[in-house]
Amino acid sequence: MQINIGLADVIRISPMIAIFIASLLPITTKVLSGNKEPNNLVTLIQGIAGLIIGLVLLTVVGGSGELAFSKSLVFDSVTLWMGSLAILSATGAIIMMYENYATNGRQFAELIFLALNSVVGMLILVSAMDLLTLFVGLELMSLALYLMIGMSHEEKYSKEAAFKYFLLGSFASAIFLYGTAFVFGTTGSTNLITFMQEASSLVQSNRLFLFGISFVILGFCFKVSIAPFHAWTPDVYQGAPTPHTAFMATAVKVVSFAAFLRVIATKSLVGSTGLFDVLQWMAVITMLVGNVGAIVQTNLKRVLAYSSISHSGYVLVGVITAGVSDAGSFGASSVIFYLFSYCLMTLGAFAIVSILEKNENHMITLDGLKGLASRRPVYAFCFSLFLLSLAGIPPSIGFFGKFYLFNAAVGEGLIWLAVWGVINSVISVYYYLKPIVLMYMAEGEAEIAGHNLSATTVTMIVSAIFIAALGVLSGPIFSAVEKSFIN
Amino acid sequence: MLLSTVILLPLVFAVFIAFWPQQRTLRHLALGFSIIEFLISLMILNEFDPGSARLQLVEKFTWIERFGIQYFVGIDGISLWLVILTTFITPIIILASWTSIDTKIKGFHSCLFLLQTAMLGSFLAMDAILFYVFWELSLIPMYFMVGIWGGARRIYATIKFFIFTMAGSVLMLVAIIYMMYLTQQATGVMSASLLEFYKVKIPFVAGTFMNQQTLLFFAFALAFAIKVPIWPVHTWLPDAHVEAPTPGSVILAGVMLKMGTYCFLRWVIPLFPDATEYWSWLFLSLGVIGIIYGALVAMIQPDIKKLVAYSSVSHMGYIIVGLFVLNQYGITGGIYQMLNHGVSTGALFLLIGMIYERTHSREISKYGGLASVLPIFTIFFFIITLSSIAVPLTNGFIGEYLILLGTFKAAPVYAYFAVTGVVLGAAYMLWMFKRVFFGEKGELVKDEHHPLHDLNLREIVVMAPLLILVFWMGLLPNHFLNWTKSSVDHLVNNKNKYYLEIHENKVAKGSEYAN
Repeated sequence: MQINIGLADVIRISPMIAIFIASLLPITTKVLSGNKEPNNLVTLIQGIAGLIIGLVLLTVVGGSGELAFSKSLVFDSVTLWMGSLAILSATGAIIMMYENYATNGRQFAELIFLALNSVVGMLILVSAMDLLTLFVGLELMSLALYLMIGMSHEEKYSKEAAFKYFLLGSFASAIFLYGTAFVFGTTGSTNLITFMQEASSLVQSNRLFLFGISFVILGFCFKVSIAPFHAWTPDVYQGAPTPHTAFMATAVKVVSFAAFLRVIATKSLVGSTGLFDVLQWMAVITMLVGNVGAIVQTNLKRVLAYSSISHSGYVLVGVITAGVSDAGSFGASSVIFYLFSYCLMTLGAFAIVSILEKNENHMITLDGLKGLASRRPVYAFCFSLFLLSLAGIPPSIGFFGKFYLFNAAVGEGLIWLAVWGVINSVISVYYYLKPIVLMYMAEGEAEIAGHNLSATTVTMIVSAIFIAALGVLSGPIFSAVEKSFIN
Repeated sequence: MLLSTVILLPLVFAVFIAFWPQQRTLRHLALGFSIIEFLISLMILNEFDPGSARLQLVEKFTWIERFGIQYFVGIDGISLWLVILTTFITPIIILASWTSIDTKIKGFHSCLFLLQTAMLGSFLAMDAILFYVFWELSLIPMYFMVGIWGGARRIYATIKFFIFTMAGSVLMLVAIIYMMYLTQQATGVMSASLLEFYKVKIPFVAGTFMNQQTLLFFAFALAFAIKVPIWPVHTWLPDAHVEAPTPGSVILAGVMLKMGTYCFLRWVIPLFPDATEYWSWLFLSLGVIGIIYGALVAMIQPDIKKLVAYSSVSHMGYIIVGLFVLNQYGITGGIYQMLNHGVSTGALFLLIGMIYERTHSREISKYGGLASVLPIFTIFFFIITLSSIAVPLTNGFIGEYLILLGTFKAAPVYAYFAVTGVVLGAAYMLWMFKRVFFGEKGELVKDEHHPLHDLNLREIVVMAPLLILVFWMGLLPNHFLNWTKSSVDHLVNNKNKYYLEIHENKVAKGSEYAN
């Protein structure tokens, strides 16, 4: 096989190169100045600048639908939208890292290096068209993340979380690779484009191919915490420093779903009713497990972790819809829009958790929220907004996200999935209302940290404004996403 | 732009009040705002053409083009008086809560105005998604109102209220989406407009459950049945009523419950005519059960507020029966009874709130002999009691009479049972009245240290408009019914092929005028 790399290829991956170079800046400064930690604010600004340059370059080079590096990378609408979303979420997360007790201070330069490299991995993941390239992106993203979690200043839970995540993540990667091997064995290629046309007939005729593609899908199910592969999520989300949790719950999930969408877009589901049925049931079970699990939690981060599991279930409904419809652009757009709304809400919610944490060992419990409304009305108001939006109450953006998602599902005849989705919304209302009840209606002295995290507060307020405003104005955004698929 | 002004002005007020710096003038400001809102809503009467059954004062703008969702509002005879009722009752509530709400005043008034926007939007929206947004939005302020300013078990009550109502309405969302696809199949263009929905002929198979029209019918009906509430999904209502603060109870009984019955008339009956006709026996039976059950349970309540809450279940049963007999008398009576119930039950909750402020108790057994201590209060309470038990010359009589007349014409069996509700209603109300106002003085009444004061001027001003309405609506019902007649006639005459046209002379400037 001959590999030709031209200038055009290099230009297409310029966002990744830019972010990678930016990631080297703080750590190089640190080494050159005799291992003295550079000013954290400078490090943060370098990180944000790198991400923003990456975002700008991505909007320039992405979205054209062109291929690069012998068809192993593609720059289409999914790359553009999901990549931008991942970069924006990552920006929010590193702003939180700058101020959180578990992540700021010493080794912040290394942290930014790892975070930005994780973003590079994400960009590879969203643009990968080849299962092996996809695997490289997945591993780059995950390995950086394992280290980031382990580096937390919190001594106990974070180490457990890092190890758990590493172990289960490696399992998932192994399963993914195993599946890839079978796909390669049956089709002679790992490139999605080469077997895109015959995938739906291959899953019917060739058991080994079906086996391979199922394992690839299972690997993703681990990553995006689809039940029954969700068990790591609550522990890891709880143990990881809050900004990293936000990073995992938003950026990592977005890009994993993007890659998931690419594999599903081979129309394997159309050929195999078995796989199709199993995935539908997994979506239903994920929603139920997430929502029922969240009801009994007392730790706020675990509540949000289970809520994140249930949202994976909703998104899976959209992914399935995109996988079975003839014109998958509607389903895919609804997934992208949903993930956009989900990222805003989740980022905002974790920003509040980060603000309320008094030190690196402080765990926010639900009872700790009692009486927050009278002591910190702005936080309580924004948090209520995030929770109501997560629950899908109109006119927040969360409602419109669900509306587009279920609209796509009903349009494909998957009404029963939509019905399960809305029933789960009702279950979820119970635990989303609980913090609001405690903040506004229960007597108590909320534990409030004495510090003032201004940058995190700005992140929170920006998310809140977008959630309140973009719901009603979501029509043009959705149409823009959908139109970009047609071009 | 009149209707948009009416809908959105309270929202502006809510934001304005949230940022108003002065605590002292907050109530005056809110009262002023609510009166302005009421006067603006009266301008609708001026613009409205009562002789036409068509949709008037229409405003229509594209909202989400991809799915044919519009900002589409309009008014006809069915929604007219409910809009006026909503704007009419808000200043009364603000004046009534002058002293009873003494914490977080700012939040309270913001919630109230937000709720007003949501309710008016639900009555006026002619686009399914716009309607759903307003419908769900109404939950949030009510949730806070009960949860923050409510009684001892407020948190249980408010969560129950929220989850019950939301559980009902989410299936409606799926049904709305499905209707949008049906409209696309029928007309070629996806649309969420109610007027387009009316044009769709939905396949119906009698005798089976798993057919499109029946399933859609029940998805919508469940949402509205919980809101009304129809027996047996009424259980959230007594809890919410008892725990809500007086203003919350008034707005709940006065307007929010009507959102359910109004939507039966606006959505369920015209959209699914075959299923409505086929399943009307079910709703008639549930309505009648509600009438009798509500009355019997009300009779044994030791708490006045709970008694009135169960009487609401009974009264709402009448409205459901009236709507589902599907003739002129029944539906006219149902609409009239919606207004009556808003006035009389709202007034009852206000009066209970006034006495509760004085004694901090609602237990019937602790009262007795109030008549000699609080003469004005007693007279007011008596008038409202008469209205509630539908004595002739009061408003309640007209509504119940029309409903029963319609029921006797269409389905006499149900009427035989429904009539017992009239007797039972008189029994529990008058028995309660006797125990509270006559007889030996109860422990709260004869308490020497805390002598009871009769109603002050503010409280008399609060009650006066309601008392006037009781007689006005009782003596001159045509003043009100003439406005709704054309719309009701149109609905009844075309119930199997309902359509609604836009009144071309009554379209707001700048609207996209289609059809």
